[in-house]
Amino acid sequence: MTKELEKKFVVELEKNQNIIHKVCRSYTNSEAAHKDLFQEITIQLWKAYPKFRGESKFSTWMYRVSFNTAISLYRKSKRKIETSQIYDNLKELEYQDYDDSHDRQLDLLYEAIQSLNDIEKALALLYLEDKSYKEISNVLGISEVNARVKMNRTKRKLKNILNP
Amino acid sequence: MEKLEKLKDVWKKQGESSIKFSMEDIYGMVHKKSSSIVKWILIISILEFVLPNLVYIFTDHDATLKLYENYDLNSITKFYTIIHLIIIVGFIYVFYKNYKNISAESSVKTLLQDILKTRKTVKYYIYYNLTIAAIIGVHIFSIVFNSEIFIEKLSDGTNMIIVWVIAVFLLILTLFIFWGFYRILYGILLKKLNRNYSELLKNE
Repeated sequence: MTKELEKKFVVELEKNQNIIHKVCRSYTNSEAAHKDLFQEITIQLWKAYPKFRGESKFSTWMYRVSFNTAISLYRKSKRKIETSQIYDNLKELEYQDYDDSHDRQLDLLYEAIQSLNDIEKALALLYLEDKSYKEISNVLGISEVNARVKMNRTKRKLKNILNP
Repeated sequence: MEKLEKLKDVWKKQGESSIKFSMEDIYGMVHKKSSSIVKWILIISILEFVLPNLVYIFTDHDATLKLYENYDLNSITKFYTIIHLIIIVGFIYVFYKNYKNISAESSVKTLLQDILKTRKTVKYYIYYNLTIAAIIGVHIFSIVFNSEIFIEKLSDGTNMIIVWVIAVFLLILTLFIFWGFYRILYGILLKKLNRNYSELLKNE
């Protein structure tokens, strides 16, 4: 694979990395696991990248590969993720000064998502991202009717967790 | 459900993740090795294809050949070896074809199906091994137990039915231990996949 392709991939991924972080935060409950899953998703995205033809949006394609990795391919590993750490520390500082009502709500939402099963997590994320049932059924590989049934159940479950 | 709709605003307003990777970090990640389940399935499957055949390498060939000659087992072992090799090649071909089909770009359902299909090939290979071992075992027992050398070695009044029962019991016990060990390994490896697959198929 050419260096050029690699550069293009890294630039696009860096720009869109929040998508992967949303998936990682939903499917893991520690920073180490979050980073490990991010690493695995990156590897899977890179492996699939030469075949990416741009038929779907880069972000949609990223969601698809990220869900597949989190639901089917990921196995916890003991590899150490070495990062520059600059961003982590920077964000921690910002966090301390920040009005917390929005962040608190977001934390609760993520906690609720984490308590769902793997398939429901994907459904919840796709719902929050306002994806159509057609797109959801396409990502999961199930019928639109089943996607609706599952989505209703997931929404009910989320609601119960958030408003006991 | 209105409250849930409001949560969409919370979701959409979320800023950047507190964990953020630089381009340099991502460059590093691209060159790391995957630790995906597919990689483990490939490694374990290769071991499962290779290990049963490794037993052959560690056997005492001279003693085995002498045993075959004594009990006139040469032609029968040749026959089973040829059949076994043809079947192994068939299994490896199907396994490789299924393995190549696995793509992280498929839908979640297709990916789960493809991984489980790949694993199933190895599962059938293990079952085939256990079955062929049982068939060969019984076949060889029948030849050996009816040979003159064996009968001469038996003390007078030995009940052949008891000999058969002990032999078959030991054979079944050995195969059962292998089967149990395999089931545990298979269960641990695929627990998450099987659970997600059945969850996905609910109401389909």
